[in-house]
Amino acid sequence: MEKRKGYYLIIPAIIIMCIFTLYPLIDGIRVSFTDKSMLRPDDNYIGIDNYKQLVNDPIFWISLRNSIKLTIIVVILQLFFGLILAWTLKQDIPGMPFFKSIIMASWVIPVAATVTIFKFMAQPDVGFINIILKSIGLSNLIKYWFGDPRTAFSFIVILHLWRNVPFYGITFFAAMQTIPDSFYEAAEIDGANAFQNFWYVTLPGIKNMIIIMVTIHVLWTFNNFEFIYLATGGGPINRTDVLPVYVYRQSWVNYAAGYGASIGTIMLLILSIYMIIYLIMQERGEYQR
Amino acid sequence: MPRLTKKQLKIRNTIIAYLVVIISICFFILPMVWIFYCSFRTQESIFTGKIIPPLEGFTIDNYLRVFSVTDFPRYFVNSLRISTLVTIISLIVSILGAYGLSRYRIKGRKFIILGIFSTQMFPHVLMLIPLFLVIFSMNLMDTTIGIVLTQLILVLPFSMWMLKGYFDTIPIDLDNAAEIDGSSILQRLIYVILPVAKPGVMVVAFYSFVVSWSDYLIVSVISQSQKTATLTLIISRLSSSLLVRWGQVCAVATLTIIPTLILFALVQKRLIKGLTAGALKE
Repeated sequence: MEKRKGYYLIIPAIIIMCIFTLYPLIDGIRVSFTDKSMLRPDDNYIGIDNYKQLVNDPIFWISLRNSIKLTIIVVILQLFFGLILAWTLKQDIPGMPFFKSIIMASWVIPVAATVTIFKFMAQPDVGFINIILKSIGLSNLIKYWFGDPRTAFSFIVILHLWRNVPFYGITFFAAMQTIPDSFYEAAEIDGANAFQNFWYVTLPGIKNMIIIMVTIHVLWTFNNFEFIYLATGGGPINRTDVLPVYVYRQSWVNYAAGYGASIGTIMLLILSIYMIIYLIMQERGEYQR
Repeated sequence: MPRLTKKQLKIRNTIIAYLVVIISICFFILPMVWIFYCSFRTQESIFTGKIIPPLEGFTIDNYLRVFSVTDFPRYFVNSLRISTLVTIISLIVSILGAYGLSRYRIKGRKFIILGIFSTQMFPHVLMLIPLFLVIFSMNLMDTTIGIVLTQLILVLPFSMWMLKGYFDTIPIDLDNAAEIDGSSILQRLIYVILPVAKPGVMVVAFYSFVVSWSDYLIVSVISQSQKTATLTLIISRLSSSLLVRWGQVCAVATLTIIPTLILFALVQKRLIKGLTAGALKE
């Protein structure tokens, strides 16, 4: 009797998740085996033709490589700068509470707004970056930073850092607060220097938070569509093409939904492999403890 | 390297910390200040390429034009309507669901929790193709409710997970005491549990609102006309047109950003606690 009430409570959530999450996922995989076009209501089963086409599609391979490269570079840099920021937030100096209260702003605002801000700042004639470059005598560097094949990718990395590093900093800082002072005092008695302190006390103390943040952001960065689609659309000359953007272009610009879905399914496969490795490693970690 | 004394160490750390603070403010905060600043400048003043223009370069004309000439008010209302609905539905569904998962040992509970959590990793671009067809077959294309229902997939997994964690920390004795009083589940939930869980509920409300407000992907597919277009859609369109009126773009960007910042300021402390609590419990 009591149990039945429990079911009633979760039924709305289950129904919504089934219609709007589970079904689309399964149907998305099904569509990847069809020649579905967004311009026709019907579709035909065509086996693995989409996947055959995909193997010979150079842009798919470029996107795959860029996606993996972007995710690895972004997460490593975020982790590095996040730790520096967290260490800074821990310092008890005047003005720190104020700094703490404003630093997360970039994480809160819409990605579309972030892209707009940076597009404006990267403009060759009116952009802030180029105004500064000009004023310090580096006029030869002036350009539209998202439009140059050599700098577009780095700029996308910077957008990701701009949004998420403060979030890393704040959460790592919160985790550091839970490390008892006595651990540091003990390390001091043992004659540990600042680096040893960090390596043997701080890092193990915030290990769980690091694992969670890295996992969330690997998924987030790999799946993120908006930054690149809005900033460069994958250009110039496919330099910043990533899988989510390619899926979107195939489905909603070329209307080749079947082909787009096959690329999406590959994304799902890669993420599943990542999650399985993560779960195995976590299981093993628990076991060791 | 000679060992530093405690005082030297403190001075060194303070210097490094201030350096990081200054660099961080330049990198993370200055871009926002810059567009806010430029939203009060004339097109001519922006195009001089000077950081500080003469006084006549400043104007509130950009805002006046955004409100009178463009359809900005309509898009603002669209955004507000969609985000508010997403927040309300997400709250109702996730409060009920999370409470059920937290308090009742129902069959398949672990499986459901894992299922909800793993949806976080699904590529939205893949799910969007069938979602589009679902919305289309329900005749909800280009409607507010179509966008709201689709956006729920962005917010529900986190909301449920977050609230379940929060309810788990509330002692079950509280429920039991209320049950003896003879109240129904809903009464118990509304009068006993929710007041205690208010911080968690506020975090979920904030999260739902901001995620919906920021969404571009779903709106770009489901919205087909001015009727449902939101600010994120318009701001992206404005900044990629050929002749960009940057002053007005900055004004629209500022007005898009400000609601999220205000909400964030209201819940900031709780948000950080809420986001980190789950990870730190162990």
